[in-house]
Amino acid sequence: MIKEDKKTKRPFDLWESIFLVSGVFSFVVCVLLIANYFQINRADPVNTKVLNALIERLEQDESDQALRTEIREFDLLARKAYFTNQWQIRFGGYLLLAGVLVCILAALMIDAKKTKVKEIELPVKKTYVLTQRNARKWLSAGGLMLAVTAMVFAYITHKNMEDPVSGEASTGNDRNTFVDPESNRSDDLSPDTTQFAVADTAKADTVKKLVFNPLDYPTAAMKNNFPTFRGAGAIGLSHKNNAPVSWDGASGRNIKWKTAVPLPGMNSPIVWGNFVFLTGANEVKQEVYCFNKNTGKIIWKTNVPKSTQSPKVSDDTGHAAASAATDGENVYAVFSNGDIAAIDHAGKMIWSGNLGVPDKSYGHSSSLIVYFDKLIVQYDQKKGSNLMALDTKTGKTIWSTPRKVKSSWSSPSIVNTGSRVEILVLADPGLSSYDPATGKQLWSINCTSGEVGPSIAYANGIAFAVNEYAKLAAIKVGDQPTILWENNDYLSDVPSPVATKDFLFVATSYGEVACYNTKSGEEYWVHDFEAGIYSSPMIVGKLVYLMDRKGTMHIFKAEKKFTLVGEPMLGEKSDYTPAFADGQVFIRAGNNLYCIGK
Amino acid sequence: MKKSIYILFFILSAIFAFQSFPVNAENRFPKPEFEQGHIQPETITPSPRLLLLEYLDVAVLITALSLISYFILKKRSRKLVFWTSVFSVLYFGFYREGCVCSIGAIQNVTLALFKDDYHIPLTAFLFFIIPLIYTLLFGRTFCAGICPLGALQDIVGLKPMPIEAWLEKVLGIFPFIYLGLAVLFAATGTDFVICRYDPFVGFFRLDASFTMFMIGGLFLIAGVFIARPYCRFLCPYGALLNIISRFSFKHMTITPETCINCRLCENACPYGAINMPVQLKEKEKTETVVRRYILLSIMVPIFIFTGGFLASNFSSGFAHVNPKVKLAKELKNNTNYGMGEKEALEITAFRSSGQSMDELNLEVAKIEKEFYLGSWILGGFTGLVFGLMLISLTVFKYHPDYSPNKATCHSCARCMEFCPVKPGVL
Amino acid sequence: MSAEEKNIKLTRRDFVRKGIQFSILGGIGVMAGGLLPKLVGQEYVWQIDTKKCTHCGRCATSCIKTPSAVKCFHAFDMCGYCDLCGGYFRQGVKNLNTGAENQLCPTAAITRQFIEEPFFEYHIQKDLCIGCAKCVKGCEAFGNGSLQLQVDQSICDNCNECSIARDCPSNAISRVPSGKSYLMQGINWKNET
Repeated sequence: MIKEDKKTKRPFDLWESIFLVSGVFSFVVCVLLIANYFQINRADPVNTKVLNALIERLEQDESDQALRTEIREFDLLARKAYFTNQWQIRFGGYLLLAGVLVCILAALMIDAKKTKVKEIELPVKKTYVLTQRNARKWLSAGGLMLAVTAMVFAYITHKNMEDPVSGEASTGNDRNTFVDPESNRSDDLSPDTTQFAVADTAKADTVKKLVFNPLDYPTAAMKNNFPTFRGAGAIGLSHKNNAPVSWDGASGRNIKWKTAVPLPGMNSPIVWGNFVFLTGANEVKQEVYCFNKNTGKIIWKTNVPKSTQSPKVSDDTGHAAASAATDGENVYAVFSNGDIAAIDHAGKMIWSGNLGVPDKSYGHSSSLIVYFDKLIVQYDQKKGSNLMALDTKTGKTIWSTPRKVKSSWSSPSIVNTGSRVEILVLADPGLSSYDPATGKQLWSINCTSGEVGPSIAYANGIAFAVNEYAKLAAIKVGDQPTILWENNDYLSDVPSPVATKDFLFVATSYGEVACYNTKSGEEYWVHDFEAGIYSSPMIVGKLVYLMDRKGTMHIFKAEKKFTLVGEPMLGEKSDYTPAFADGQVFIRAGNNLYCIGK
Repeated sequence: MKKSIYILFFILSAIFAFQSFPVNAENRFPKPEFEQGHIQPETITPSPRLLLLEYLDVAVLITALSLISYFILKKRSRKLVFWTSVFSVLYFGFYREGCVCSIGAIQNVTLALFKDDYHIPLTAFLFFIIPLIYTLLFGRTFCAGICPLGALQDIVGLKPMPIEAWLEKVLGIFPFIYLGLAVLFAATGTDFVICRYDPFVGFFRLDASFTMFMIGGLFLIAGVFIARPYCRFLCPYGALLNIISRFSFKHMTITPETCINCRLCENACPYGAINMPVQLKEKEKTETVVRRYILLSIMVPIFIFTGGFLASNFSSGFAHVNPKVKLAKELKNNTNYGMGEKEALEITAFRSSGQSMDELNLEVAKIEKEFYLGSWILGGFTGLVFGLMLISLTVFKYHPDYSPNKATCHSCARCMEFCPVKPGVL
Repeated sequence: MSAEEKNIKLTRRDFVRKGIQFSILGGIGVMAGGLLPKLVGQEYVWQIDTKKCTHCGRCATSCIKTPSAVKCFHAFDMCGYCDLCGGYFRQGVKNLNTGAENQLCPTAAITRQFIEEPFFEYHIQKDLCIGCAKCVKGCEAFGNGSLQLQVDQSICDNCNECSIARDCPSNAISRVPSGKSYLMQGINWKNET
């Protein structure tokens, strides 16, 4: 009896204390493991920001031995921490497992000591029928609830769900349709010379609400592709920075394919998705070509019927000097006689028309560019220059703004200043900016003269205009544009300049390239490549790619010091600006289109 | 200095390139010929697990199933069942790390049935089918202690609390919905959801995502108080076995001889799977029952249709789980997987794959069609299960003794320990 | 209800039972028969097709194992033994030495060994490699592509559905017969693994 008492008084027996201790142990290990888990996530060796920052600093100053040692020590520490953490997690896992096992074992032992036979509650529980009825009731209620929840959920999510992806099987992946509030403007602005034949597929009056953010320019899709001459926005900037730096035309090394282009044309390739586009024309025929990006095969060529006789053009302009543009749905092309056409990516003509035969010497060469639903055409000529926006779906003129300028051969650029998007157009006597939505001239500044060929460069709020026999001017854009600095040492009459935030590169047609500070105009370096240059340089990541007329690509660093990275030779003459896609470069040279890369 | 290195590099690479062409057109830099006799090491590629060992797993499965069936039906020993559970957790769980498993094999079988390009390994098929056959023969002895997931929960189920019978019934519909979903996703080649959301496999591997560990931990902790929460209210394979077990040739009994209605086993079952004795006098009026029965039978098609209709509303939601459909949607809406400036890897990969948007859209249209049909079937199936459950709740099943509910009994053999009747005593 | 009637009722119920039992058996049999042409007596394992791999780096994070079962494998047969190794050095490195600031590998899992002028041999430390593909990308871009990502079959748990395969943007991971469990390029296999 006394013994019994003692037993009940004792707070824990052996198994109970084991249970308690192992339970607490497991809990502590568990907490530690969770803490460690978050630590290991922070110490991800792949994305060590600190280390990368340190290395970047080292790149600035290579001689810093102390920094070098610091990096090595930090790296060692970081790796040690990572692997120790991993070891801790593994070891902690085993500890926890052991703890839980002991805990369960103890609990089982405690359980085994207790009497198995439980007390029987009297009276007898619910009867069979009652239980069944209850279960039926609740099952029905549960089912109903499930159905109602499903219904409510379906209703709420219906908006997102009703539109299955495959609803619109189309090549387009950037289907922004936009009609701005002022689009009810009558057609009286459109020049009489513009007549359009609209193919049946295009519905002229499908007015949809604004579904894009005008400030989202260039769009991600545009950056992923190469929609225009000199890239998205036509400012000479490639958004892909993994272009190959070496190839060789003679041996075919690193050249994926090479395809002959049927008709000549001074225009440069553009890329969208799986397609590369070019145009070509002679006095009797005008064609648009679509190449398979991976194989180089011509997927289709579409003839753009000549609506009127082509004017006389000089040999180095030709009948298809303006590069095509695409918006992911159609590709747009313009030819020397003012014929303009939209062709979808399957090769079907959507609309075509004529802008009137341009009245200027050499021939028309201003490339096209797309701003959401508008195709922007710079049409500068001896008399009646204007800038137009055509509806990409129908070809109808949305707006047309007359320009008091002389003939020009440069191409329009579209820049995003952060607060708005502007079309920048260069011609004698200066640089003008237009609102892409309405066509209203925002500002204009006198900065050039003569027969303007090069287009502008733009970076970080500064536009750069250059022309032979005129000057190089850096213009701070905005409602009150100002010329920051000027220079006239190295001037170009064909290639356009390019700029990064800090550096401006001016390539001249006689082969010299100059690098300037964008803000001060300080000349950093000049290099003579000893070959003429007609192609425009392109900024690709931290490099500048510049094709000379002999077919050698000069790749140098966009840096304060001239550093040559490579000079791969193609072996065919090229006066065209290359197009860049992911890991690939497309170069028109001679009568061929080349794909460089894998 | 650096310039010279680069120039050297390019000269070298150019020379190499020219040399390499006739030898090996692929390599930019040719394999060197060592003058000092260095021998190039071989690439070591460790082999996967031996095929023989995979078949050993099947043999272990069969042996374990035979043994546990023997322990339950003949030996009537909870202790032996417990130790088999421990073995299963160790072998199928910790040693085999939860793969291959019968629950997951549902998806392999489904995928093999629906997709031509998938070939199912014999072991996966055997793991699916052997427990089904054993269940048809002996009841859910697989659940009792062979399935590592069930065994693990059985071991931690220390303080089980009884659940209201009606709640048990209501929750009992979820395994069927889960089964339907798993089959839908597997049949469309989208995902193996059962494996992806297996709460316990992380413990067996001592490696899983944090979320899965949390979910698994919650299941285990809940499992201390609610016996086998995963098995009863989620396990899709359990749903299959639930049905088959109802018609099993043999099944364990609580008592070895005749039940003396001593009521000692009444609270023994942690799963609430013991049928209490029913008196004939409890029976409702035949007309009421028959009327209800007929009414419900008529309702079943309505349930099926409603379920199908409701689920079909979610078809594009389900389809969105499919990576291809998601890709097409992201491309179409230009949302770039919410990555902002940097292009999503999927989109980059798609662009470099050379597949055109049209081809993708065609493929996606096909998948979406499958999902639309599939979600009608899924909904209809859920409605059918719901209706049949209601019907089974109206049928009067007469049993005078305490007996296991063959559908939900996990054959864990706990109740036997409570039975005072010993074989051959009466 | 007479005893006889009860008997008849019981036998009828038994008959239905038997019917269902055998139809379940039959069902299983039919399914087995249907799957017979698709049954294969070999196991399948997961492997990366190096031709499709885009070295996106997800293998390091998506595997249920930490560190990932995907490792970098070196096809020595393809290696050019370059001094300036695109897989070993960060881009634009000026000093070709083994300093941490020059190394591309975040875990220093590649060792560089001088063989003879101008050749260097590179070895992967399996236990340090986390499968991040940085070196693979570098070697692919600047070298022969001899560094390749592969699933190490001795580490891989062979999940029913590979969680990396699900996350792989280029569908490079697929089931391959376990008899031919590596899909590397440029190796002159002496004996098939």
